[in-house]
Amino acid sequence: MLEVQHLTKIFPNGTVALRDVSFTVAEGEFLAVIGLSGSGKSTLLRCINRLIEPTSGRVIWNGVDITAASPRELRRIRRHIGMIFQQFNLVRRSSVLTNVLSGRLGYVNPWMSLLHYFPSEDHQRAVAALERVGIADKIHSRADQLSGGQQQRVGIARALMQEPQLILADEPVASLDPVLAHSILQYLEQLNREAGITVICSLHFLDLVHRYATRVIGLKDGMLVFEGQPKELTRERFKEVYGEEAEMVTVGGGMERG
Amino acid sequence: MRAEKRLAPLLSLLLPGLGQIVQGQQSRGLGLLATVAVLGGLVLWQKAPLLFVPLAALWLWGVWDAIQSARNRSSGTVAPFLLAAFIVYALGIRATEIHPERLVSGWPSIRPIVQALVRPELMEYPKESHIGHLPFQVPCITPLPPPQGQASEQPRLTTDVPCAALGETVTLEGEGFLPGLDVEIWWQNPIGDYQRVLEEGVPLVVPADDEGRFRITIRVPPTSVPLDRRPGPGETQTHRIEARQYRPYGSLQPTETLRLVIEKIGETIALAFIATVLATIFALPVSFLAARNLMGGHPVGRAVYYIVRTILNIVRSIETLMWAIIFAVWVGLGPFDGMLALLLHSIAALGKLYSEAIEGIDPGPVEAVRATGANWTQTVVYAVLPQFMPSFLAFTLYRWDINLRMSTVIGLVSNTGLGFLIIQWIRLSRYNAMATAIIAIVLVVALLDYVSAALRERIIAGSPGGPKRGILRRYGVPAVATVLFLTLFIWSWGVAEVDLPALVEGAPAGLRITRAFLFPDLLTRPTVESRVTAPLVVPCGAAPALTAPPAEGPRVALSLSCGAPGDPLVITGEGLPANTDVSVRWRLPDGSFLRIKKNCCRTDGAGNLRLETQVHPLMEAKEGTAGEVEISWKQVIGGYQPSEALVTTVNLSLVTLLMALLATTLGSIIAIPLSFLGASNVMGRGPVGRAVYFAARTVFNLWRSVEPMILAVICASWVGLGPFAGVLALALNNIPNLAKLFSEAIEEIDPGPVEAVTATGANSLQVLVYAILPQLVPRFLAYILYQWDINIRMSTVIGFVGGGGIGQQFRVWVGLNQYAAAGTATWAIVAMVWGMDYVSARARARLI
Ligand SMILES: Nc1ncnc2c1ncn2[C@@H]1O[C@H](COP(=O)(O)OP(=O)(O)O)[C@@H](O)[C@H]1O
Ligand SMILES: [Mg+2]
Repeated sequence: MLEVQHLTKIFPNGTVALRDVSFTVAEGEFLAVIGLSGSGKSTLLRCINRLIEPTSGRVIWNGVDITAASPRELRRIRRHIGMIFQQFNLVRRSSVLTNVLSGRLGYVNPWMSLLHYFPSEDHQRAVAALERVGIADKIHSRADQLSGGQQQRVGIARALMQEPQLILADEPVASLDPVLAHSILQYLEQLNREAGITVICSLHFLDLVHRYATRVIGLKDGMLVFEGQPKELTRERFKEVYGEEAEMVTVGGGMERG
Repeated sequence: MRAEKRLAPLLSLLLPGLGQIVQGQQSRGLGLLATVAVLGGLVLWQKAPLLFVPLAALWLWGVWDAIQSARNRSSGTVAPFLLAAFIVYALGIRATEIHPERLVSGWPSIRPIVQALVRPELMEYPKESHIGHLPFQVPCITPLPPPQGQASEQPRLTTDVPCAALGETVTLEGEGFLPGLDVEIWWQNPIGDYQRVLEEGVPLVVPADDEGRFRITIRVPPTSVPLDRRPGPGETQTHRIEARQYRPYGSLQPTETLRLVIEKIGETIALAFIATVLATIFALPVSFLAARNLMGGHPVGRAVYYIVRTILNIVRSIETLMWAIIFAVWVGLGPFDGMLALLLHSIAALGKLYSEAIEGIDPGPVEAVRATGANWTQTVVYAVLPQFMPSFLAFTLYRWDINLRMSTVIGLVSNTGLGFLIIQWIRLSRYNAMATAIIAIVLVVALLDYVSAALRERIIAGSPGGPKRGILRRYGVPAVATVLFLTLFIWSWGVAEVDLPALVEGAPAGLRITRAFLFPDLLTRPTVESRVTAPLVVPCGAAPALTAPPAEGPRVALSLSCGAPGDPLVITGEGLPANTDVSVRWRLPDGSFLRIKKNCCRTDGAGNLRLETQVHPLMEAKEGTAGEVEISWKQVIGGYQPSEALVTTVNLSLVTLLMALLATTLGSIIAIPLSFLGASNVMGRGPVGRAVYFAARTVFNLWRSVEPMILAVICASWVGLGPFAGVLALALNNIPNLAKLFSEAIEEIDPGPVEAVTATGANSLQVLVYAILPQLVPRFLAYILYQWDINIRMSTVIGFVGGGGIGQQFRVWVGLNQYAAAGTATWAIVAMVWGMDYVSARARARLI
């Protein structure tokens, strides 16, 4: 169980990205985070694994206070939290295999890893992870030779290598076209249902939220403005989160006036 | 296991790579074979037998690799790569005569230069001098004769003794000096040379007290008199001690040095200006001939296109400074020489750039304008020029940049401008003056960088062409600009001493050098020289006749065996090789030779020769020895061999390539850590970080403005002439250039992967290896290759001022009028530059 308590983040330039945000996520949930661009979704996800240091508040995961962890403990915690990014964040010049293997960095002997040495179980794991996302044939390609959808699958495979109990996905499908968006989210859904991995995923489209999420929170100007079941997220509530002018976009391609 | 798998290691032992080839790894095998062969050749070339040890290790690695791949295992390429690199660098260090200890031992010779750099001669007060002098005898003899010369009365100097030996100490007292002002002690030897009196190596200075007196112990300079001018036993010489005070008065004035430097800055700018303007004019028509889209239609046109392109490429790959040396043969040293060199290289470079701009013209708009019914001129004005102008302006401005940089140093070889001042002043050890010139160059170049960056921005963001509003803007501005331009042009023409008659007068020399370049000295055949002689006694009976000519085989017969000077003489040669150039000479009684006739002689088809002349007056017998008439000729034995010039050229070309490699390596190693200081994302937003960042960037930019040729001049006085000085100069030039490029690469690191790898729980070293280095290494390598490419070009000219390599030899050959050998060197340079251009372009394409 993940508890976020009174989380606040003020950037050095004075921007208040999160204001006193509290919520809890139960084991096995698929939590969607929605909100306008700039509402603090990315900041929230990064405060959970402390890629961004929160200004105040606590994040407690399975009884461990992440916000109080020493650097060493933090790395131990992080290796169980997979992360997936909008821009995929692969090392473009490295091979798919190297990118996927880098998901094991928190586990392997750090000195051996500097020489690019990984145990053979990790190689097998990498092949398995790539098979799972359906691109095992690209294992020796350079990452930048892959299409966007394929790159995101490498990103998922990298997260899988961590044997995560929690996946943070920051707009994983915002750079992809609708068909690919569904296929990527289906992988996450599969992981969530079959492996019981908790997923926290920021999303932009109402229909995706309805289709995949088990619970939704909404952010507006860094404040929590909605918390509930996807079906509670009616057009009216969606408008509250996104503002009066919001257009409700469906991934099917059409557009509904909000 | 198949047979070839079992045999593979054995085959690899026999010939490196063979085992890999039979197992189907052709490229790996051939690569290994080529590497071992090339490295083996280089080791033999440098006669470094110890390096056969790593070479053998490389060979054995090939065997091991064959075993591994027979077992279907792969062995990496790190070990062989390291071995090969070790051999190459060991050879490089040897071939380029790297002696790090000279950095220390040579320090005293450049310390004054470095110190001078912070004390340029800019302004000074005119000074009035106040000098007292006193004759002094060295050494003491008894009785002591009166000294030659008088002592000064006011101020007055006295010594405790009237004489002393070299190296002895003397107490010197002075009175009547200007109170409170420093006194310098000078020593004048009997030959008249002055030197400062030193104390522990430091020039002696003593202040005069309030009453204008001083008292000091000095040592008679032990090296005051050269060994061959010392007095004999029982003799003495009169020296002179001087005590000098200088008092500044009046107002601060620019020094003579500063005035000269400013004048030469003008000359530098003029050269660059006129060369750029003329180059633009010449390059435009040339560029039409080199544009594929204009010339491609017709076979003749295509032939012209290829020929023009090739010539442009050859001319371009010979550096401007090298052209200056070549043109110096044609028109003599001076500004005109430098201008011609800048001009020719610019025409080639601009011709290529313009032609590419023409090739880039989009035919669409041309078609569209023509479709409106426009005629040819209208089409050019409305569709072609608007497309061509921006690149034309950008390229011309870019060339002006390069020419100004070049013209600051072209004087190092053509005796003009700032470069000449530097060469002259370093020879005279006037380091402060030299520092003034160096600083001037740095400032001119740095200022220029700034101005042209600003100009370029304006051109890129410029308003669209077309008529301007307002009379003044429409006619006034262009009129003023034209007048300014013409004034500048006329002034530059004068300063550059453009001397068209010199081009014509020097043409024979120019043609000779051109011919030598077209037919370089590549092959020779070994020859033996044979000779036959006949004695000639002048006058008759003055000496016994020497040996009689043989009756058989080649021989020379004279119509007289003795006679008086001026007597007619017929020389006949018989039995000589047919149709051969021979040389017919007087062998004078003193043993020296004198040609009998110019452009003579050639034997006929039967091997005979006849020459009518008169007995030369110098043939008169001396001390009973008579002279002879000699016919000599060269006969070829054996086949063609590489000429000495070719061997030297190949040798020095390898040295030059290694110089460039070592300099690039050294420069990169130092630049990498420095580059982090100049990367804004590494230094952060804190005040200290920002300050370091700005300081680093400023230092890089200023340092970059120090031309490599100037660094070479300084390095040559630091570690001595030779390739080491060249390596050092190039490396010093590479450091700021690479550091700047590296900083930019660091700033462009994508933070995404860094974040992603951090999120997996990796530690910071792992983040460095997995997220940062993969982004940096390829770009760094690409920049390093690019720098190596530039270094090869520069290392061909750095030798002109003592940096070793092929350039140094080229200048020597030109100086000795050995143009064919110089031509060989030139072609080698063209080949190296082309080869490296090709390799580095391909390698960079793979990296990026
Ligand atoms: N490093 C930073 N420094 C300053 N402000 C930031 C930084 N990162 C994000 N912000 C600001 O914080 C707010 C929330 O940003 P973010 O979490 O990226 O929103 P979202 O992901 O919902 O688009 C925005 O106003 C953004 O401008
Ligand atoms: Mg975001």
